[in-house]
Amino acid sequence: MINRRDFGKLVLGATALSFTACNSLASGLSTIPANKKRVVIVGGGFGGAATARYLRKFDSNVEIVLVEQNKEYYTCPFSNAVIAGMEKMDFIKHDLSTLAKKHNIKVVHAKVAKVDGANQNVVLENGEKISYTKAVVSPGIDFKYEKGYTKENEKHAPHAVKAGEQTTILQKQLENMKDGGTFVMVAPADPFRCPPGPYERISLVAHYIKNNKPNSKIIVLDQKDKFSKQVLFTNGWKELYGDLIEWRAAQFGGKVVSVDPVKKIVVTEDEEVQADVLNYIPNQKASQLAFDSGLVADGKDWCDIHPKTFESKLVKDVHVIGDASNAAPMPKSAFSASTQGKVVALQIARMLKQQEPLNPPKLANTCYSLLSPNYGISIAAVYNALDDKIQNVDGAGGVSPETDPDGHIRILEAKYAYAWYESQTADIFK
Amino acid sequence: MKKMAFLLASIASLSFAVDYDPVRGEMLSLSCANCHGTDGKSTTAIPKIAGLDKNYMYQTLLEYKTGKRVDTHMMQKHTKGFTDEELEQLSYYFSKVK
Repeated sequence: MINRRDFGKLVLGATALSFTACNSLASGLSTIPANKKRVVIVGGGFGGAATARYLRKFDSNVEIVLVEQNKEYYTCPFSNAVIAGMEKMDFIKHDLSTLAKKHNIKVVHAKVAKVDGANQNVVLENGEKISYTKAVVSPGIDFKYEKGYTKENEKHAPHAVKAGEQTTILQKQLENMKDGGTFVMVAPADPFRCPPGPYERISLVAHYIKNNKPNSKIIVLDQKDKFSKQVLFTNGWKELYGDLIEWRAAQFGGKVVSVDPVKKIVVTEDEEVQADVLNYIPNQKASQLAFDSGLVADGKDWCDIHPKTFESKLVKDVHVIGDASNAAPMPKSAFSASTQGKVVALQIARMLKQQEPLNPPKLANTCYSLLSPNYGISIAAVYNALDDKIQNVDGAGGVSPETDPDGHIRILEAKYAYAWYESQTADIFK
Repeated sequence: MKKMAFLLASIASLSFAVDYDPVRGEMLSLSCANCHGTDGKSTTAIPKIAGLDKNYMYQTLLEYKTGKRVDTHMMQKHTKGFTDEELEQLSYYFSKVK
């Protein structure tokens, strides 16, 4: 029997408990139950989602926690089609709810402050800690704010290489640009997220301009002298858009000295370029989270890893995948991040069972780019992960054929670009 | 009769060059899934490869690798990155997907 006073205490206690539960984002995760193992994945993009989805495929028992700050995830692949008005934002929107419901993955929506390798826990911004047996970090990129470009004025001269609000801003700016306006892109120095990305964007912006604002022009100020699939892009530009696109290599007038994002003026070594829309893509480095977690060596921009397992060279039991890792010659692409996530999931599943990692694991990349809705090109490569490096398999890979006299390969590859997107996202988010 | 059966079985097994290694087969299959769907169960314009006959798939992959079959050239870029033995392991893996 409980009397009225005891009952009151119980109610108070229950209320207090429920308050704690409401404020806590990661309740019950500060320790790992005895005889349990827990893998905590930081970042729910292509790398992190692939790791979670495939680790569950390889190990039905391990506890998997996926920490991602955003409830909705917008992919960079096909964000250029949104900018050019070919697709809506919903087309590139995904979330982690299927991973949670169907694949028994605990999804925590919270911002991570850092991964604390010494104490084997992931520290959230609110101070809560999630303990791990192994951590996989796939945090993506951050920018080098320099030459006058700052985080605060990203909205005036959007980079749009983190999809979401930035994508919408650039799409709207293009839509509102006057006919006869100048669209200027500053393309970054290597290495950066999605090597063909800026050039696919320029192609699709040209497609939009040709159909909607035919008196406008496009200038690309590049911080390098060559770029991915260059011959295919420049031939395609000529074929589809005539002389609409003016691309300036770094050594021939592309090099940027400074930028005024609000006035949309770019100063190069030779002149001042006034833009109506300025798409400024800064030079890049690993996400700040990687720096704060001690995963980037002094003087470096990216996280060095052991190629076979992607375990950090600096912090034990923390594996870094995706754009933040230094996995050269693999490009920083969604496909790379996804295959890295799957291979790491397989290796971790083995390590947790005291089995040797597979040797050598095989990795690959495939990227399609659209030059117009019916004109696609591709690049692919296959890699072996060796002890000290990731190596291109000789003779494999390459780009689409330079000539396509009857145009059927370009049409087919445009169709495959869409299928590639649908398959890639279904493979890891469904 | 028993000897005959054993002999026949041995001859049959000669046509399979490698022993199936399911762990490596699965590892090698991981990048295929990006385009061909999880375990090859594509639902898009990219062909489904789950459950294909092992020898048919292996022959097709070899034809891509040697350039006998071309299509959009995409499969050539990938198959040239795998040894014949690896392509055979892949074929085993996908043939066994239900």
